[in-house]
Amino acid sequence: MITNLTPEDLVAFEAEIAELFNSAKIRAPVHLYSGNEKQMIDVFQDVKREDWLFCSWRSHYQCMLKGVPLDVLKQEILAGRSISLCFPEQRIFSSAIVGGALPIALGTALSVKLRGGAERVHCFMGEMTSETGIAHECIKYARNFNLPIRFIIEDNGQSVCTDTREAWNQKILTYETLNDPMIKYYRYETRYPHAGAGVRVQF
Amino acid sequence: MKYFEELKRSMDFLAANANTVFVGQAVAVPGTAMSNTLKDVPREKLIELPVAEEMQMGMTSGLALGGMIPISIFPRWNFVMLAVNQLVNHLDKMPLISNGGFRPKVIIRTSIGSERPLHPQYQHVGDYTEAFRLMCPNIDIVRLDEPEHIFPAYLQALERTDGRSTLLVEHGDYYNEK
Repeated sequence: MITNLTPEDLVAFEAEIAELFNSAKIRAPVHLYSGNEKQMIDVFQDVKREDWLFCSWRSHYQCMLKGVPLDVLKQEILAGRSISLCFPEQRIFSSAIVGGALPIALGTALSVKLRGGAERVHCFMGEMTSETGIAHECIKYARNFNLPIRFIIEDNGQSVCTDTREAWNQKILTYETLNDPMIKYYRYETRYPHAGAGVRVQF
Repeated sequence: MKYFEELKRSMDFLAANANTVFVGQAVAVPGTAMSNTLKDVPREKLIELPVAEEMQMGMTSGLALGGMIPISIFPRWNFVMLAVNQLVNHLDKMPLISNGGFRPKVIIRTSIGSERPLHPQYQHVGDYTEAFRLMCPNIDIVRLDEPEHIFPAYLQALERTDGRSTLLVEHGDYYNEK
């Protein structure tokens, strides 16, 4: 592990951000994690400092566990950049567009392979993203060319407020039961809404 | 030199750089007018991609983040339309969302489809140069209207140090006419 952060550390950080958001200290959206701390720490057992991370609009835990100093991370969030956190020094890229980071992660993995590098790419997505066309294309290409990339699918059952399984009329999602070393799937329940922290904030 | 010869000369020049790689459809095999401009590029530098334009454009940015200089080839503006999310929301916005930390140097090549002697009809001859200039203020979009514009434009695209990417627009009809 790059850091020795505990599940309690992760929860406490998000709780502090929630409090800052609810008290109108952050004039931009925040997307908070909860309920997946142990799974996330498990994922990071296999992440090295030189590896690349590609994330979505919800990425505070990844930034913490990759070693972004917590005060630096907090300042970026306070500055309104939670939705697309990028830290070149820690090799973290995030996109606020569904599936947006996936082909970029794929290209970075291809560059690693072409250069004969030892680093790996870890690409996080939600379960609705994992059902999109761009996800299928990127996973297929990565598999077929054996690129140094791992896709982590985080299933909280919802895309904003849309039930992913109902919307696709599909009880079991495409990668949910797949035994594939290139894909890590986990399910969790969150106590936070899609965006914000559950309080209507008046600015 | 004529239009095609200047394009081929430019591709040979780009290929001489150790960090470049050419990606797209019909880069390693025949298939488009652009393919002929790559015929002397070493095979190991040509990565034939499936037809997946958004994936290609995203991969192009990712290759650049990983330290390479990709030349990403879309034979017509109409095909670039399938990659708009990656071009407008990602490559163009990357310097902004990363506080200038990520500034990938990408070279994108596209074309206004030729109309003569065969007219391929209206889904293949679009010229969206001005529209993309409005949508991509952080990418230089360069029209290659004359043969003498071509090599200097590719030289600038390769050697620039300002962290901007370049999208170069050819005109299919000029392959035979200029």
